[in-house]
Amino acid sequence: MRNISFGLKKLRKATLVVAALSFLTVNVSKAQDVVEGRTLFKSKCASCHALDHDGTGPALKPKMNELEESFLIPWIRNNVELRASGNKQAIEAAKFSPSEMTAFPTLTDDQIKSIIAYAKVGDPPKEVVSGGTVVDEGVSGLSIAGVIAIIVLSIVVLVVLGRAVKMLERLILEKQGIVVNEEDNVSLVTGVKGLFKNKKFVFFTVLCLVIVLGSFGWMGMWETGVHTGYQPTQPIKFSHELHAGINQIDCQYCHTGAFKSKNSTIPSLNVCMNCHKNVQARTDDGLISPEIQKIYNALGYNPDTQTYDKTKEKPIEWVRVHNLPDFAYFNHSQHVVVGEEAIRKEAGLSPNDPVCFACHGPVNTMEEVYQYSPLTMKWCINCHKDADISNKKSDAFYANVIAAHEKIKKGEKITPALLGGLECGKCHY
Amino acid sequence: MESNKKYWKGLEELNKTPEFVENNKSEFAEPLPIEDVLSEAGLSTVTPRRDFLKALGFGLGAVTLAACQKAPVHKSIPYLVRPEEVTPGIPNYYVSSFKGNSVMVKTVVGRPIKIEVNPNAGLYSRGTDAQAQASVLDLYDVSKLKNPLLKKDETTWADLDKFVKGELNKVQASGKQIRVVASSLNSPSAKAVVTEFTAKYPTTKLVQYDPISYTGIIKANENSFGKAVLPKYNFDKADLIVSFAADFLGTWISGEEFTAQYTSNRDYKSLEKKKMSRHFQFEAGMSLTGTNADTRIALKLSEEGPALIALYNAITGASLPGAGLPDNATADKALKLVAKELLQNKGKAVVVAGSNDVSVQTLVNAINVAIGSYGTTIDLDNPCKRYEGNDAEFALLVDEMNKGEVGAVFFLNSNPAYDAINAKAFTEGLAKVALKVSFSDREDETADLSDVVAITPNYLEAWGDANTYEGFYSIVQPTINPVFNSRQAEQSLLTWADAPVQDYYQYVRNYWEKNILPAAGKTWNDVLQTGVVASAPKAAGSYGFSLSLDAVAAAIIASSKALKKDIELQIFESIPMRDGKQANNAFLQEFPCPVTKVTWDNYIALNPRQAEKLGYKEFDVVSIKAENGYTVDLPVLFQPGQAMGTASVALGYGRTKAGKAGNNVGKNAFPFVTYTNGTLKYATTATLTGTGRWEELAQTQTHYSFEGRNIVREASFKDFLKDPAAGSGNHHKHKVYDLWTTDKHEMLGNNWVMAIDLNACTGCGSCIVACNVENNIPVVGKDEVRRRREMHWLRIDRYYSFNDEQHGAVTEEKEIAHLDNLENVSVVHQPMLCQHCDHAPCETVCPVLATVHSSDGLNHMAYNRCVGTRYCANNCPYKVRRFNWFNYWNDSRFDNYLNNEFTQLVLNPDVTTRSRGVMEKCSMCIQRIQAGKLTAKIEKRALKDGDIKMACQQACSANAIIFGDKNDPNSEVSKALRSERTYYVLEEINVEPGIGYMTKIRNIDSTTKEVHA
Repeated sequence: MRNISFGLKKLRKATLVVAALSFLTVNVSKAQDVVEGRTLFKSKCASCHALDHDGTGPALKPKMNELEESFLIPWIRNNVELRASGNKQAIEAAKFSPSEMTAFPTLTDDQIKSIIAYAKVGDPPKEVVSGGTVVDEGVSGLSIAGVIAIIVLSIVVLVVLGRAVKMLERLILEKQGIVVNEEDNVSLVTGVKGLFKNKKFVFFTVLCLVIVLGSFGWMGMWETGVHTGYQPTQPIKFSHELHAGINQIDCQYCHTGAFKSKNSTIPSLNVCMNCHKNVQARTDDGLISPEIQKIYNALGYNPDTQTYDKTKEKPIEWVRVHNLPDFAYFNHSQHVVVGEEAIRKEAGLSPNDPVCFACHGPVNTMEEVYQYSPLTMKWCINCHKDADISNKKSDAFYANVIAAHEKIKKGEKITPALLGGLECGKCHY
Repeated sequence: MESNKKYWKGLEELNKTPEFVENNKSEFAEPLPIEDVLSEAGLSTVTPRRDFLKALGFGLGAVTLAACQKAPVHKSIPYLVRPEEVTPGIPNYYVSSFKGNSVMVKTVVGRPIKIEVNPNAGLYSRGTDAQAQASVLDLYDVSKLKNPLLKKDETTWADLDKFVKGELNKVQASGKQIRVVASSLNSPSAKAVVTEFTAKYPTTKLVQYDPISYTGIIKANENSFGKAVLPKYNFDKADLIVSFAADFLGTWISGEEFTAQYTSNRDYKSLEKKKMSRHFQFEAGMSLTGTNADTRIALKLSEEGPALIALYNAITGASLPGAGLPDNATADKALKLVAKELLQNKGKAVVVAGSNDVSVQTLVNAINVAIGSYGTTIDLDNPCKRYEGNDAEFALLVDEMNKGEVGAVFFLNSNPAYDAINAKAFTEGLAKVALKVSFSDREDETADLSDVVAITPNYLEAWGDANTYEGFYSIVQPTINPVFNSRQAEQSLLTWADAPVQDYYQYVRNYWEKNILPAAGKTWNDVLQTGVVASAPKAAGSYGFSLSLDAVAAAIIASSKALKKDIELQIFESIPMRDGKQANNAFLQEFPCPVTKVTWDNYIALNPRQAEKLGYKEFDVVSIKAENGYTVDLPVLFQPGQAMGTASVALGYGRTKAGKAGNNVGKNAFPFVTYTNGTLKYATTATLTGTGRWEELAQTQTHYSFEGRNIVREASFKDFLKDPAAGSGNHHKHKVYDLWTTDKHEMLGNNWVMAIDLNACTGCGSCIVACNVENNIPVVGKDEVRRRREMHWLRIDRYYSFNDEQHGAVTEEKEIAHLDNLENVSVVHQPMLCQHCDHAPCETVCPVLATVHSSDGLNHMAYNRCVGTRYCANNCPYKVRRFNWFNYWNDSRFDNYLNNEFTQLVLNPDVTTRSRGVMEKCSMCIQRIQAGKLTAKIEKRALKDGDIKMACQQACSANAIIFGDKNDPNSEVSKALRSERTYYVLEEINVEPGIGYMTKIRNIDSTTKEVHA
């Protein structure tokens, strides 16, 4: 019986595992749809539709849950065609707003299903991400735990060894016929006191403390003034994820200076208005998204009359994320134009990624921008030491310089450092 | 050929005064209190070690805590709507004009920060002067008014217009006169505005007057040739230049332009062709031009007239009375020689005189006709329009005002309450005028007395134009919106005249499109880009002279006799301050006068022997009482070369309402000027009395001394022709040893070097101000300069030497000290800046490696690494390193200069402002090198010679500074450095400097030697 019940138990466990796994896989495949759907939703639908409230179009969450896919798919793909075919439901649905819904003939069934899947559930509740924790730099908690574990283990080992040594000593003494007083009855307090009298123990403890505190101090000092992960709250909740990631807007569209100036330049609001004159992401009450409203307020723009009032202008005070000290000179164009190829190679960027990612990280996934790289001098210098700029040989500017340096560095990699890129005055003047 | 000639920067160096010796021992004026610490008090303390440890512990703790503050939050505020042409980080350049000279203005994100040369202006603008360079600071002057004033209260333009129009109507009804008082208006549009204003108010008359007047020349030309104009001088066409107290390289008419012309016959390119002009200067006070002359003869003010008569007689064989200089044998001999040479150089010579006396200038005209200057070196057919002031008209105005005939007066770019000669008569007259309107940007001396101050923008905020020569026009265009609530004077006049076009931009444009552009075949947009329109100059004709000179000679002798009394006092325009209009400019106040090296003050210059006779020591304050009764107290400055019996006082100081920086700096010398025979005279007589006070001038001349090492090399032109390397010391090379034989530092890419032509450099110092503006060099003020803490990266060392040709050059200091004549000195100017040594002594002593060498030949200075030990400065043989004793940008002690947010808008964003406690020095404009390289890299092309220009080089009209890549054998600098004249300063200590100097050549020969014999 025991065997049977054991077998049953095993079986039950197995079924459970299979069920759980299949559930997981279902979840996973669904999750993928939702992710794709979210992306598509943000790029195609979000300018007119919100999930929870009516805007230019109706709130989508209730609609998607209420309506059949068989209607939704042709409607989303081409609602004009559907209405023309005499579909009563479609004609009825079109009455929601006088403005016609855009047709999306390129969307596949699967893509539309993804959008529907996303619209049904919406965004998962967001994890609160606070500054500094986004990118874990420096010594991880794991390694600290490891160090502590090793220390504890060695204490245990020491204690055990100590005991063993004592035991052996006693055995030897006993063998020699010397009677030793049992110490079993020694109280804990005296034991601890004894420990403190033990020079080896005290020395070891102090050593451990010095090592632990010293390494904490060292790491602390090393990180002073390093603001990796710095993610200040900006006056407008501008999402790079939405703009650069989902909408695939090129970095240069807004940061026009990066390719010609030392400053990458924060875009002026007229650049925002190129799109946001129309894209207003209205809520169900017909209110303009509060973040977009901030643009309008800054410009003194009245979206209803589409007029600007210069007297109400008030510039937006963004908080700088990447702060180089004043005595360090950095030029964007030097790096993204002149050094682009070398930097791409050095950072291992894929051909589709903009070169900006090398230092600014995956901006296209940042809901709010944080400082990705440490921006320390060591970080600069390491790249200047490693980057390979041999590709510049054919460049008229570098031709002479590199040829000259090759005289002494035959066959070696040519780095910015070799051409003087580590000299103080190249960045500090 | 090695010369042992002695050079000295100041008499204290020459005489080895105890103060000089003491100061010179250490690099820094104030020694460390080592003595105090090591004295018994310091050593007998019981616990110095414990105290030390306590202080150390506390210091460490405090620093740690201070470092724990949170990183500050930086805001980035982009444009709301970015102007299309502005990209933050990339400068924009706009052409404009400063005082009629076409310039290029560099702006960054909308703020003008630097004045550069307009390459389109060609010969009319090869460099810029110190005033132009410093003018960007005037824009960011906190002493300016922010709103117009009506009866001393701030007002709006509408109220102001109502008031002025109402008053003007009253004046017109009363039939009284209206006067527009302006310093020479060389803007054609502004003149048209005045005409339009006159049409509306017919009693209006334009009175042009210049505090530094050229009426004498204009009237003399009217008398002699029937042309009331300033001629165009062509010093480039002159092989022989004879100047009687005309400081044409400095302040006379158009110094920068003449410098370019003058040096084109004397610089290394000219010398390569074995050609060099010859220049005689006769003058009382030492002027910049005098320091550059091949032969300079000290001449009393009273001797100037007789000297010219003697010259005329010698040239033409006439026998005008009054010739001859019985008391000045040297000048007498020199004049005979000059006359002979002038006749030999007919048509290739020019005689100029700085006097504003009509008779003197008429005589000069006669001399110039006799030597055939007209049509070659002097051009009367393309006259200069820079100065048109008429002294008589202004004198008349003062009379009219006092008689109560004037109902309204407008002051346009003029400040007579400060710079009119008889300020009292003027002020009294002004009180009788009903409507007084001042167009000024601040409440200056005249504005203070006016009912209305219609504040005007800086030229960098304004539209306008200029016409400096016949057929040569340049545009003034704004580079920034008016910062304060100002309005252009022209626009105000148009408004009050109810003109059909009141917008001055439109007005200027209309004027150009109607009068200037069609003839030139250009459009308005062309002009906004190139800045100038120049029509082909007319052929210069030659002129005859038919006036009888008897009356002229008589007048000259009469005024000469009047000056033979007491001390003859010369009132002159100093290079930094000029006429005092920019007195509130801290860059100019701290710019050492090229001759005296005095900053932040004026003084009375006396020959040291003269002062000894009178019983004054240097810096003794004396009371100067002029013939007209005006008295001021000024410190004595010992000026070698000053004619005995004369003294010189500079104009432009003593402003009382210029602003925070310029108020009460020095004393006003304008009241010394006299008005006789229809023109202003800048010469008078005075008696001196000691006051018993002593006031040290902030003089930089002996700061950073070379301890008598042989760093200036010169040769005569004659020797140069025989051997181009004459005097360069290149024939006696020292054997050099190299500590770094195994690890040679090779400059494989570029090797940035500089060549400085001592023969082209006139010492004018515009490079100093250009460097200050480009590199954010702080102004430290008078007290700090006295402590030898000026921050200038580039200084111009001015060396005196003594030539007694009878005995040869004076080679021993003790000999000089016993010479009874200090009139006959010659001068060399040597720009001194970081030499970017390849074996730099500063680098090896830096304990923190804050100053290191680069692979392109530069000596880098990392401010953020510097801990301020100052070892480098101690070890620098050229003494070019500067230490930041204060945080000049953020310290209330420097409020008058650069410690305020508005003024700091002038900063160049590409250069760090240095903090207290760090060293700094010339970086060879590394920001410009880097920018030039980056442009080439982005354009994927090789770097061309001339792509990168240093700020000093750009400002230099004389083309004395050449910068470039030594690794490029065809670069301009490589060619210059290959010149046989090139030597390196302190070459013998083998620091391998990166800056080569070319020897100073003097065009003197045996005949000129006779003069001083």
